[in-house]
Amino acid sequence: MPQVVSKVLVLDDADAHFDSLKAFYEECGLVGIRPQQTGAANVMAILKSNVDLGGIMLYENFGGKGLELAREIHASRPELPIFLRRDAISSVAGLHEKDAGMFRCAYTLADLQQLRATLDSSIFSRVYPNDLVRGISEFTRNSLQSLFSGCDIDIETPYLVKDRIIYGEVFTMISIESHWCRGYMMFQTAEEAVLGLIRRAAGKEGANWTFRELNNVLGELTNLVWGSFKNRYVGHDNGNHNLQTQVPIIINHRSSYISFGSEDPQLCFKYVLRERNRPDAIPVPIFQRFVFNLNWSPEAFRENPSIETLVESGELELF
Amino acid sequence: MAQILVVDDSSTVRNEVGDFLKANGLSVVTAVDGKDGLDKLKAHPSIKLVVSDVNMPNMDGLTMAEKIRNEHKNGAVGIIMLTTENSPAMKERGKAAGIKGWIVKPFNGPVVIGTLKKLVN
Repeated sequence: MPQVVSKVLVLDDADAHFDSLKAFYEECGLVGIRPQQTGAANVMAILKSNVDLGGIMLYENFGGKGLELAREIHASRPELPIFLRRDAISSVAGLHEKDAGMFRCAYTLADLQQLRATLDSSIFSRVYPNDLVRGISEFTRNSLQSLFSGCDIDIETPYLVKDRIIYGEVFTMISIESHWCRGYMMFQTAEEAVLGLIRRAAGKEGANWTFRELNNVLGELTNLVWGSFKNRYVGHDNGNHNLQTQVPIIINHRSSYISFGSEDPQLCFKYVLRERNRPDAIPVPIFQRFVFNLNWSPEAFRENPSIETLVESGELELF
Repeated sequence: MAQILVVDDSSTVRNEVGDFLKANGLSVVTAVDGKDGLDKLKAHPSIKLVVSDVNMPNMDGLTMAEKIRNEHKNGAVGIIMLTTENSPAMKERGKAAGIKGWIVKPFNGPVVIGTLKKLVN
């Protein structure tokens, strides 16, 4: 499994430096995406779509209006850290105090290491154990395969996001409770696309299926994955941690926005379902997100040592 | 014909398991939670085997199994759990309630069907 990455929106029109910046991004685990057009309206349209961003890399003279654009972005999406590239000064010196507060840091091409330290503390503020990331993708793929047996399942590189935008129209959520982490897992997807998959898989019987059948399938997917997570990573003597703490979860349906009250990045996986007997069909994405907003103690993470001796999934263990 | 009661709050699982058992010549009754399972068991005396989820609203599968044995005094029906749960403590509680077996989801029909048929017969 590749390292966890994060996508950043690159608003930098200094093409002469693009190759060196791109190399630096790759080194830091960032995947840079650039808008096709540089106008503010286009940038804001990208931000309103679901692009699962970890942050914004903004050049102070982008489109001749870098600061103006920063104000608009910050007002619209304050959860996204903005990293300001400047021509001459590696600080926010000279900016109005209110403007300076919009930026996580300011840097020049000559001091990229300063930027790196800030990236590590803001976007990559949490390190997820490789065994956890690999395990989640494995058992989620198995669960998807059991529910969508007519599909091939591809998994994209896991990534971190600071975004709080919900993808699609349907999402499930289940609380994650263990001695080393507490939070939530979500699946997010588009209704029509997945409904089409399960209708076609069911044949004639599926012709009249509605969102209710879709809800059932996604509910079972969530149940299967949480069960696998629990069996693999949650100790069976799981009774000593403090389960009382809770924080409000805020959902804004109009803005497709969800907040767990934490500034920490979410760990995201994207699974792409491709129907085997319809190779020309549009692939269907399902997004899986983890937010460990109530407790994160990776030093206590471990896989259950008894995993090899556990009965295989689907087999009957007779008593 | 001997019947099998499938108890699961997920219609996806009820359909998957129920359809598979029917396709293998077994008669199936379904229930949506533990309470419904108890009602169905009472209403269908020919049920010989219960395949039940653990985590369900209203009444979980282990509580249902305990009630079948202790309150309804039904020691004859076989009970198997089909669940994502795999903790030794839960299995011990299941054994104490006279559960015959434990299947970890996802359901793998071909692996299970032979054993189920033997239990039913």
